[in-house]
Amino acid sequence: MIGSIGRRYLTATRYTLLEQAKNRMAIILLIAFVPIWYYLIGLFVVQDMPIDFKFRVSGAFLHVSSYHLSLLTAGLNAITLIVGFMLFTSTRKDRQFDQRLVLNGYPQPLLILAKLTSLVAVAAAVTLYASGLLVAFWHPGSLPLVWLGFFCAALCYGGLGLLLGVLLRGELEGFFLIIMFSLIDTFMQNPVGNPAANQSFIVWFPSFAPTQISVAGGFTHLVPWSYVLLSLAWLVAFVLLGLAIFWWKTRAWRVHIYNFHSISTN
Amino acid sequence: MLESVLRSQDLYKSFGRRKVLQGVNFSIYPGTLVGIVGENGAGKSTLLRILAGELRPNHGNVDRHGTMGYCPQAVILNDALTVNQHLDYFRAVYNISNLRRAGELVEMLGYQEYRQHLVGTLSGGTKQKLNLTLALMHQPQLLLLDEPYQGFDWEIYLRFWDLVTELRERGCALLVISHLFFEQARFDDVYRLQEGQVRVQNPMKVYAWSGYSTSRQWSAGKRGCPRNPFPL
Repeated sequence: MIGSIGRRYLTATRYTLLEQAKNRMAIILLIAFVPIWYYLIGLFVVQDMPIDFKFRVSGAFLHVSSYHLSLLTAGLNAITLIVGFMLFTSTRKDRQFDQRLVLNGYPQPLLILAKLTSLVAVAAAVTLYASGLLVAFWHPGSLPLVWLGFFCAALCYGGLGLLLGVLLRGELEGFFLIIMFSLIDTFMQNPVGNPAANQSFIVWFPSFAPTQISVAGGFTHLVPWSYVLLSLAWLVAFVLLGLAIFWWKTRAWRVHIYNFHSISTN
Repeated sequence: MLESVLRSQDLYKSFGRRKVLQGVNFSIYPGTLVGIVGENGAGKSTLLRILAGELRPNHGNVDRHGTMGYCPQAVILNDALTVNQHLDYFRAVYNISNLRRAGELVEMLGYQEYRQHLVGTLSGGTKQKLNLTLALMHQPQLLLLDEPYQGFDWEIYLRFWDLVTELRERGCALLVISHLFFEQARFDDVYRLQEGQVRVQNPMKVYAWSGYSTSRQWSAGKRGCPRNPFPL
């Protein structure tokens, strides 16, 4: 049986998700941009050219198809852009509305929990679509593992979108930052475009661990759990910072509230 | 003695070097309608935001008794949701069991045909009505309204005052802030926010105890307490 807290949480979660589902721009990007991006990779990258990829899970170099590797990084690029954009837009637009909810008595922890649920649901939905679509272009060794890599990247950039949504006032700054972050980050991981991709500094980028997980799914059957944890560390860092700012900005300042029937007379 | 629903004690607020509030004291009692008027930039919205808990004062206290409804000046709604979805969302916010009162308010304010419409497609006036409904649907004991009738047409303006009368009869205390009041006779007390303090706008009216309003007789006459514990 769902109690009052459960009902209140479910209501906020339902409407947060409904709002995400009505983000037409994001849905158009998802439906059109992802397959176009996969298709363009086929045009731009020589399909049978092998390349060495530093696979840090085993410590060895993998001799893999540059086309297949680029498909993975293109997928990562597309989903990080879309999920980052969705979370940024909704968080930024709802700032005042969320504060109104809290001022009128909606518990802040439940609102935060609803936002986290929406982040996970959006990341799961977008990455299921993007990894499913990948099969039309290539059959990776383990599709669920590729999805896990995509999912980790989407969570991470969803957290970044949430953080930028509570931090930035302007829409344009947020879009620009997400696009730049995602482009640079995912581009750096791919040795096809970046000869320095196998250098050690690359480990400090947010999409490093998701790329390693996706490559594990594409070309091996190893499950790099420690890299899943590393991805989650990025998510936790972005989300904790974002939610701390969210909590601070939407909090209701202390007003002495008494039960109307039990106060003493003045 | 009658207890105040809202008491502001010695409120100070500055933004940088600009002193906006400099010792604001007043109280509001059940069943009364109080207005605060002031020029643009006098600090009216700042005061209301502090009373609602949205802003923290630099000094002073706000004591509130009972449930509050807050209708901010800016219409704060979610364009992606319908009117009905807003009502359902705020049912969860106030943790109330049904939407009977919300339905009555929607009918009273005359926008029931828009209940299935997305808020993003509504006119400014209809959004303002929904804004007001959301502040009232849980039957609060105190209602804070910031320029509430902006965007209302004449008919809805009159319905608004019918609603105010009904709320006062139920014992709800209302605080309305505006840059000007055309109908001061409707108010029990009108204060002017000037130089960071609230001053009596019409001293004769406030202290004369003429008993011209039902709520005044009820709150001051029958209970016999001075309604303003901080003489200004």
